[in-house]
Formats: sequence, structure tokens, C-alpha cells
Amino acid sequence: MPTVGQPIPHDSANGHVTGEALYIEDIRPVVDELYVEFVGSPVACGKIVSVDLAQAKKEPGVVGVYTYQDVLGHNLFGPVICDEPFLAESRVDYVGQPIVVIAGKTLEAARRGCRAVKIEVAPEPAVLDIDTAIEKQQFIGPERRIDRGDFDSAWKNAGHKIEGTFESGGQEQFYLESQSAIAYPGEQGQIVVESSTQNPTETQAVLAEVLGLKMHEVVVTCKRMGGGFGGKETQGVIPALMAALVSQKTGRAARIVYTKDDDMKVTGKRHAYKTWYQAGFDSEGRLTAVKMDYYSNGGASADLSTGIMERTLLHADNAYYLPNVKTCGRICKTNLPPNTAFRGFGGPQAVAVIENIMQEVAAHLGKDAFDVRRVNCYGDAPRNTTPYEQEVTSNLLPEIFDKLAETSDYKARLAEVEDFNLTSRTQLRGIAMTAVKFGISFTTKFLNQGNALVSVYTDGTVQVSTGATEMGQGVNTKIRQIVADEFGIGVEKVLVMTTSTEKSINTSPTAASAGTDLNGAAAVHACAQIKQRMADYAAKLFNENNPTHKPSADDIRFEGGHVFDRRSPDHSIPFGEFTNQARMARVDLGARGFYKTPGIDFDREAGRGNPFFYFTTGCAVSEVLIDRFTGDLCVERVDMLMDIGRMINPGIDHGQVIGGFIQGMGWATAECLVYNDAGELLSYSPTTYKIPNITDVPETFNLAFMDNGANAQNIRSSKAVGEPPLLLGLSAWAAAKHAVSCAAGKQSASMKLPATNEEILMCLTRIENTRREADKRQTSTR
Amino acid sequence: MLQSAKPTRDHLLVYLNGERHEVAGTDAFLTLSDYLRLRLVQVGTKIVCSEGDCGACSVLVGRVEEAPGGGKLVYRAIDSCIAFMYQLDRAHVISVEGLKRNGLLSPVQDAMVKCHGSQCGFCTPGFVMAMTGLLEGDGASTGGGDRRGEALTCDELRAGLTGNLCRCTGYIQIMDAGCSVDPGKTARLSELYPDGPMVEIFDSHAQDDVVVTDDGRTVAVPASLDAALTFKTKHPGCTVVAGATDIGVQRNKGKIDPREVLCLANVGELKGVGHEGGTLTTGAGERWSGVERYVEDLVPQFHDILTVFGSPQIRNMGTIGGNIANASPIADSVPFLFVMGAELEIAGPTGTRRVDINNFYQGYKKFDLRPDELIARVHIPLPTEAQTLKLYKVSRRRDLDISTFTAAVLMELDDAGETIKGVRIAYGGAAPVVLRLPKTEAFLAGKVFGEDVLHEAGHLARTEVTPISDVRGSADFRLQLAENILLRFYHDCAQKMTV
Repeated sequence: MPTVGQPIPHDSANGHVTGEALYIEDIRPVVDELYVEFVGSPVACGKIVSVDLAQAKKEPGVVGVYTYQDVLGHNLFGPVICDEPFLAESRVDYVGQPIVVIAGKTLEAARRGCRAVKIEVAPEPAVLDIDTAIEKQQFIGPERRIDRGDFDSAWKNAGHKIEGTFESGGQEQFYLESQSAIAYPGEQGQIVVESSTQNPTETQAVLAEVLGLKMHEVVVTCKRMGGGFGGKETQGVIPALMAALVSQKTGRAARIVYTKDDDMKVTGKRHAYKTWYQAGFDSEGRLTAVKMDYYSNGGASADLSTGIMERTLLHADNAYYLPNVKTCGRICKTNLPPNTAFRGFGGPQAVAVIENIMQEVAAHLGKDAFDVRRVNCYGDAPRNTTPYEQEVTSNLLPEIFDKLAETSDYKARLAEVEDFNLTSRTQLRGIAMTAVKFGISFTTKFLNQGNALVSVYTDGTVQVSTGATEMGQGVNTKIRQIVADEFGIGVEKVLVMTTSTEKSINTSPTAASAGTDLNGAAAVHACAQIKQRMADYAAKLFNENNPTHKPSADDIRFEGGHVFDRRSPDHSIPFGEFTNQARMARVDLGARGFYKTPGIDFDREAGRGNPFFYFTTGCAVSEVLIDRFTGDLCVERVDMLMDIGRMINPGIDHGQVIGGFIQGMGWATAECLVYNDAGELLSYSPTTYKIPNITDVPETFNLAFMDNGANAQNIRSSKAVGEPPLLLGLSAWAAAKHAVSCAAGKQSASMKLPATNEEILMCLTRIENTRREADKRQTSTR
Repeated sequence: MLQSAKPTRDHLLVYLNGERHEVAGTDAFLTLSDYLRLRLVQVGTKIVCSEGDCGACSVLVGRVEEAPGGGKLVYRAIDSCIAFMYQLDRAHVISVEGLKRNGLLSPVQDAMVKCHGSQCGFCTPGFVMAMTGLLEGDGASTGGGDRRGEALTCDELRAGLTGNLCRCTGYIQIMDAGCSVDPGKTARLSELYPDGPMVEIFDSHAQDDVVVTDDGRTVAVPASLDAALTFKTKHPGCTVVAGATDIGVQRNKGKIDPREVLCLANVGELKGVGHEGGTLTTGAGERWSGVERYVEDLVPQFHDILTVFGSPQIRNMGTIGGNIANASPIADSVPFLFVMGAELEIAGPTGTRRVDINNFYQGYKKFDLRPDELIARVHIPLPTEAQTLKLYKVSRRRDLDISTFTAAVLMELDDAGETIKGVRIAYGGAAPVVLRLPKTEAFLAGKVFGEDVLHEAGHLARTEVTPISDVRGSADFRLQLAENILLRFYHDCAQKMTV
């Protein structure tokens, strides 16, 4: 029986529940292994005046103390723009920026060493927010635009207009396993690093560059991560470098494990955005002219900010057809840790803006926001091309909107909610449906490739190695299922091995929701090669045994743990015997597979092309309850309907969708990064940074999927699922906005994201005060 | 028969997954999670935050409790990252390594596998332990008792797992797993680890005073209040540890490293909760989970606040005395104790004295307690039938969060139910200490209970508080809450009256 489509458990599930699954911190130290810690900048911005290491070097148990001067290769790196120092040289640009690396015989010794370092910095005024950066014209990378149609005249002619600014906050990835790495010295200066990274190849490349090695001298492996969410796409590099530097200098193994506090303080997060928008529309709410100027808070160096802004521009439309549109994106350079990838990668920030516009348009026209969304939704030609002129094909969005409205009983509940708000003095309700249309593929074309190594052993068992890294999303389990089906064997016969740059070369990060698409397809390609050789041999073999049929490789089948000629299925050989015979017959049972996504191309200068292989789409309805006196918000019910094609593993995909939604809901309604004026993060641990708790999960959560087998161009007709559901968490924000605008007499009420209790209460208070003022004026004029 | 002086034990007696450990020297000062991970290299227990705010390090701790037919071990989930070994004398710790039976997954583990309850797996051992504790009926939030034969409900899982954070799953498949476990097929922990022998050994050491020293550090774990007071008199600068739910955090964050510790975990006289003649009395060392259970029907308002106090793991360690002596301006229990006029029974070398909690705090983290004294008991007058009590907690997140703002309002109306005879209002998070609001209280006394009056009182309340802006909220937000909460109180009462 095929295993694809079955909800088989995660391949590490037994290890997870017993605690036997090892993460980097759990690996037993080797004899004389060193512990690595670092000293970071005490200020957000300034020139380094002096770094006094004398006392640190004298601390008992301290084995090494290193600065940028100890770096043998280049101290600068960067995934897109080479602008990030590994260790600060003459200046510092964010609080906690690493300056000194200390190796100790024990963790305590390394920490004592850190405390003994004296760093003097001449502080300079720090730029922390988007407005100040714009004022000072501090930007990273070029301005990017995607325009279509004639915004200016459409705006001039629009029957209705709104404009404003919209702000969304940053978000901490909050993977539970902190950044960590262990470096082992190899022979002749070579090095092996176990890293908690989504990107072994990038880590390998940067290690080589910084340590002054060649790439073939560096091996990077990753067994699993305790969560990544984008936070380990680039930012695992610095800890890996620290461990590797110590190992290179001392010839000893060296490990670093960030404390949760340090991790949250010094690593990048989802970018905060501020967007200036204008929208013109007709009396039905149909958008005729839309302009959006996005500004992101990039932090101190580029990291992935340019790619993230690119995805923002490519998701300005979300599920809605924008005939005349002007978008522009700029990245602000500030004195915060370099902001980075986080599930959604700039998409959520863009979608928040357009979904806010939908709520505003509805309030402006006195319509329901669902109707406004529905009338703008991508449909048939000509309303089926994106602003960058990619055609939205196989578009199920209108059907998803309508079906979900029906199954969630949206209209009746909307009426109840609005009635409730007219009568309740103590509480408010809100309801909203938002959509997602998420483009699948890296927007950087070359990254859309994957390779896989498949090794079949003589007992019929199989090892698979790909560039995909396992961070909990279940990519290894899905690949295991895909490969098991290729050979017609049980999943227990297939193991997906530790990701290693030794086995899978020149790989892309496990990101952009494309891990299974790229690496699964590459694994199939490897299997196909092996199966072809096996089939050729089997055809001969069966012909020898049973000469009634002409030998025909095309008729060989691999099913049910057996190999047979479909014309005489009774003469089958167990796979595990066949593989042994094949070896005896000198058949090559291993292969490397390769896959590159076809048909994608995007000209980022022109803002035109087909950046995406396909879209993953869906809608969600959230209903919220708000306490009028405290602003406390509770998401009571969620209904979701998504098109993720044919699921390779429904158990895993349910988890991806629910987990993604709740993470998005956290960003949209609760999670708050608080900095002080000095640029220090105050919310740097779970005591002060609040991700959703089990009691924040909506009491009612109805999840359904479209039955769509039409995405045949992708692996097993599936669709990528990692990021898209996160964006549907915005429905909870939109519901809160609906509630607040009800309090304002169905007028628009501007509200930032996240809709925390504080944000909601302050909005409600403003509305209340405005109402009181108006009442007073009315009374006095009477 | 010769009377010898009572011997002092120089090591801790701890059982781990059924195995006896005599813990002395440096090890006695380690956290339980460090002992497991670093000393024993049992790395299934994961560390994320080191501050009791994620539950990844959850383990079960069994202690002897009285039961019909003799003592038995009662297991409760705790955060091992902020529990010190010296708090675990005469306890049996079960970590995730101790759950398998004959090499097979436990029913909880099996359910988590089958229901896709794990994704990245890092929080999973903690969830498995907490869920195992719930099935035992550890009763933190579930009413306790032997729950054999009854499956866990979603509500129980929500209440019982607030101490465990997961970033991957969105929790639903974890709840699916919990609901799917068949308790009838689940072995009790006492079947995996028979109580009898351990209870016998623990009982035989019940009277031991323990003192462990290491390189200039001392920890005393006395078995009686007298012995505790004697130690405190001799070591007036010692750090008193009850549940360590704050001290553990401070130690992990490098803020403190006490040289002299008095651990009250084994002082029986500080335990127990009961009520008589309209007064609730609890030992200062009573764990919150014990208080929570006891007041469920007696003072439901207090019970409700306690269910959002920390997490089950925190309430299974943290004590009422610790919460009072920690003197945080946002301590969840204190506004309630203020309006009820709770009295602290303070024990010293010469006897006991009583202090009204309203007079106990003298400034930020300063209070009326001499170096040779300990809080022994708390006497809390219960609300009378004529009084209306409402408690409020506002925090960024409903569960497992430190308050942004707390409030307690106790009001008594005249016989006609119209005029306010008297009202007491206490706010937390609105000043450096928990505050009573004398002007607002005076304003309300004698007024007819109504929306406009409470509205006006809200404006006055605003003037009595001096909140700051911090990571938990702005001063403006807190001022608005200080104003609004009285209106909310009005509506809560009005709703009840119309019902």
C-alpha cells in the first residue's frame, strides 16, 4: 500500500517523546572539549575605543580569547550583501553584537572570562525605528518597485479614496532550541561542524571564507533542529563561526549553545514594517488604484532583508486583483540586530496591509468586509494577473471564499456579532475572513534546485540524504514516504539521514516552504535512475526464469515489497532478495538525483515575470471576544479552508496548518518586542515575550481542505504548506479591527498590529473620548 | 536508654527513576535539571528558558502524603530548571527517561506519537511529563484524586498544560493525544515504581535535619520550625528558600548565588490549610496548588485568580509565604490579601506575633520582618455573605504571565442593597508596592452604588496610582486600567444582581 497520503508518525516521534532524540546540546562532550561564550557590545551604536583582554586571559580555566584580529580569512560575510562582520572591528552597530569570543575548559570558566573583558565604546546616537531612519535616509540595498497600470489617473478618478499608514511589529521566532554548534578539528586544518542550521551549505561557505579555508575542507551537518521558522536560515552562522574559530585555534572540539536570553537579544527577528498606503475604489469596494510604500526595519546589516522586501512586493496583492498599482519597498538601516527570515518572509507584512485596506474600505462604504474582499478576489481573465503579470492559474480562491462563508455560517454570525455589540456594555465581538495566496518558490531563481543521494543496500533497505534540514516540519518523513513508494517498500525500510554537506552539495536553505518540493523531487529523480537500472536487470532476470515474455523493463513493477513483471505477477521476488541479486550482477544501487523548478523567471529590475511555480491558497474566519474595560482579547472560533493539493502526510500537514495559524495569530494579536531608548531588547525571554499558550487556542477550530488533485506539476500533486497558513492568523487581527470599528459606530478605527490588549484598550479609549467630546459639543450647541 | 542529640544528616536523600541517590557537596546546590543533564547525562529533559516559563524541563516529583492505610507518594509536575536539589530531600523524581516500561512507550508517549503531538520535539518531553502528571490526577488544576478510568478532557488539558509552551504545533494535536489516552490501560506511577519501599525509607528519615556544606556554602533543610528558626538566628543573612520559583530564576540569570540557604521544604509545621469561624488559615509553606484546591468552593474568586497564577508547575512549588515575602508589587495573591485584611503570623525565637498585611510592606521589597523571623502562617478572613469580592488580573497573555495590573475590590452594601457601606480596593502593578486606594474608598463610602459613581471613582483612582512604563505595559495603559476596572466591577456586580 502506498504510504504517501497516510498520516504516518514523524520519523523522530519516538525519539521526541522519550527524550532520546538528540539536539546539539545533548551530544556528549568529547574529552577536552571546550565551551565557548562571547562578549557583545554594551551599546547600540558607537566606536570601539578599547578592548582589554588581559584579565580575561588570566582567568583560571580560560583557554582562548579571540577578536576579529584572530580571524584568518575575511571577517565580513552576508548571504546577499557582504556587509556583516563576524566579530566587530572598529565599531558596533547593535547591542550584543559579538566582539570577543572566549573558550573555557568549563562553561563557568568561559563565563568568568567574559565578565573579565573590559570594553570601552564611545557611543553615538542610535537609530532604532523606521521614522528616524527615513529622516536620516539610512537604507540598505536598492529601492524596489513593482508597478502596473496607471495609478495616478486611476487615483484621480476614483469615486472613493482612503489613505493612511499601517504599522506591524516584529516577531521573535522563538524556536525552543537555541542557536548552537559544535566544531571538531579535522586533519590538516579541516573542520567538521554540527550546526543547528536550516542552511548547511551557506554555513559551510561562510566558515571557509572566514576561517581562510576552502569549501572542501569544511563539513557542516545538521541532524535536526528544535525549531527554526527562518531564524536559523542565516543566523546560525555566527555561533558556528565562534565554535569553529576556537576549534581552529586550539585543535580541540568546541561547543557553543546560546542561552535563551542571549539568543533573543542578539539574533534577528521578523521585520517590523511601516507602510504608507492609498486606495481608490468604486462604490462596490472594487479597488481601482492602490499605492503602497513599504519600509522595513532591517537592523544593522542586510542579512536577507532584500529578499524579504522582494517577497513583500510580490504579496502586495494577496488574493486580490489590483488593476492600477504602485508599490515601493525600502529597507531601513537601524541599530538593531540584523532582522532576518521568519516564516512568511515579508509576505505576512504585505498581506496585513492589504487586508487592513479591505477592512477600511468596508468601513468607509458601510459594507461588510467579506463582500469587499469577494468583489476584489482574483477571478477570470482579465482579473487574473498579478501586478508583476504572472497569471493566477487553477485559481480556487473564489470557491474557497464562498465555501468557507457557507460552512462557517459567516453571514448569520456577522449579524449576531453586530447585534451583540449594540447591546453589550461590557464586551465586544468581531468577525472577519481573510485570505492567503502565497507564492511558492524562492524569488531568487538559482535557489530553486535540490539534490538527493539515494543508497539501496543489499538487504533492501534504503538511506536517503538530501539538502533538506529537519526542524520539526516533517520534511524527512515526507521524503521517506516518497522514496518508500518509489520502491514499493514499507517506510520502515527507508531512513532519511543527517543532512551533511558531504552528501548533499551546493544546497539551498530549507526555506520558502519548498523543502519537500525540491528535495522530494530530487529524491524521486535518484530513485528513478536506480529503478531504471533495476528494471533493466529484472527484465533480463525474469526472462531467464520465465521466457514466455520478451524482456521488458517497462513492465517491471516495484510494489508491495516485491519486484515483478506485471505480465506475470506471480513470479515476484522480495525486494530485499532482488537487491542482493542485483549487486551480484553488478547493478549500481545508488544514485544522486537533481531537480530544478521549471518555468520560473523573474526580472526584479522590471518587476515582471513568473517568480512562482504555483500558489498555495486558503481562507480563514476568526471570531473574537474583547473585554471593553481591559482590552483583553480571546479568539473564540476559527474556521479554515485551504488548498494544499494532495497531502503527502495529512497528520503532518494538519500540524503545519494549525501551528502556522497559531504562530500568525501570535504575531497579529499578542507578541510584542519591547526595546528601550538605548536599543536594548526588554522582552528577551518567555517571562516577558509571550507566544501563544494552550489556552489561547480557539475553543472551536474547524479545519478543512479543498480536494484538489490538479497540481500535478509538483511532487505527488502536493502543495507547499509551511508558510501560507501563518498568514491566515491575520484573520484574528481583522476580527479585532472589526470589533473596534463596531465600537466606533462602524467607522474605521486605526489599529496597529499586533492587537494586544493594550493596543485595543487605547483604541477603545480614543473612540470613547471622541464620542464624549462629540456628545459634549452636541449638548453645548443645543 | 541513652538520649543522644538528634543527628544531622550531611547529604540529601533523593530517588531518581527508582534509584537511590545520596547527594552531597556541590551537587546539592545544583538545579535538578543540571543534576540530570550534567551529572547523570540524562539529556531527555530539555532546557529552554531556565526560568520556569516554558515547561520544557518538566519532571514529576513524588512526595509522601498521608493517605488511608499509610503514606503514599503523590506526584506533581514541576519545572526542574528552577528546583534545587536541596529542595528534593525525601522525594522521588521521575524524568522522561523513567517512563518506558519493558522498553515500550508509555500510553502518553504512544498517543503523542500517533496523534502527531510532536514536531520539532524540543518541548515534547515536558509535555509528556506534564500530561503523565495529569493522568495521575496530580490535581493542580483538576480537582485531584484518583482519576483512573476517566479520559482527560480538553478543558483539563488546557488547564493542566498552561505551563508548557510549544511553538510548532498550535497545541491541538497535543490535546488530541491527551484526550486519546485510555486511562484504564495506563499504569499508575506506583505500579512502575512501587511506593512502599521508598515511603518507608523517606518516613524513617522524616525527622532528620539536613545540613550540606560545600566550599564555604551551606544549605540547611530542617525538619522543624524550631530548627529553622535556630538556623536563621545563627545565619541572619541567609537566603530563605520556599518554592524557589523566583530565587531559582535569579540564580540561573546570575543575579544571586547565595552562600547560606535555609530551605523550608521539609518543615511540616509550615504546611497545611484549613478554615474555622470565617477565617482561612494556611501554612506559609503551603504550595499554591494546595491552596488552590482548598479554596475552590470556599472562595471561588480567589480560586479563579490562582488558576491563572503562574502555571501548574509553578503552583506545585511556589508557596503563599514565598509570594508574600518576595514582595513583588505585582504578586497575584497580594491585592486579595490586602482587601481581606489578612494577618501574617510571624514566628521568631521568642514566639509569634501577628501583623496586618496592609502594614507589612514598607517600600519596594522592604517589609516588617526581622532577620531572625519567618512567616509561619497566614490568616485570611473570608468574605461574608454581605460582601462582594471581585479579583482582576490583566496580563499580556492570560496564562503563565506576570501581571501588568491586578486589582481586588471588596464591597459591602446596606441592607437595601443600594448604598455602599464600605469598600476596600487594592491595586497591584500601579505603584512600587501593592496599594490600597484610601481616597477612592472614602469617596465611595455612603454613595449609592451606580454606574456614574463608579465611573467617577475610576477617575479618582487614577490619581492615586503612580504606574511606570515597562516591558509589560505603558503607564498610560495601567492608568486606564486603574480607571476602568472599577466600571468593570460595577458591571460584574450589576450583571450578577440582574441574574
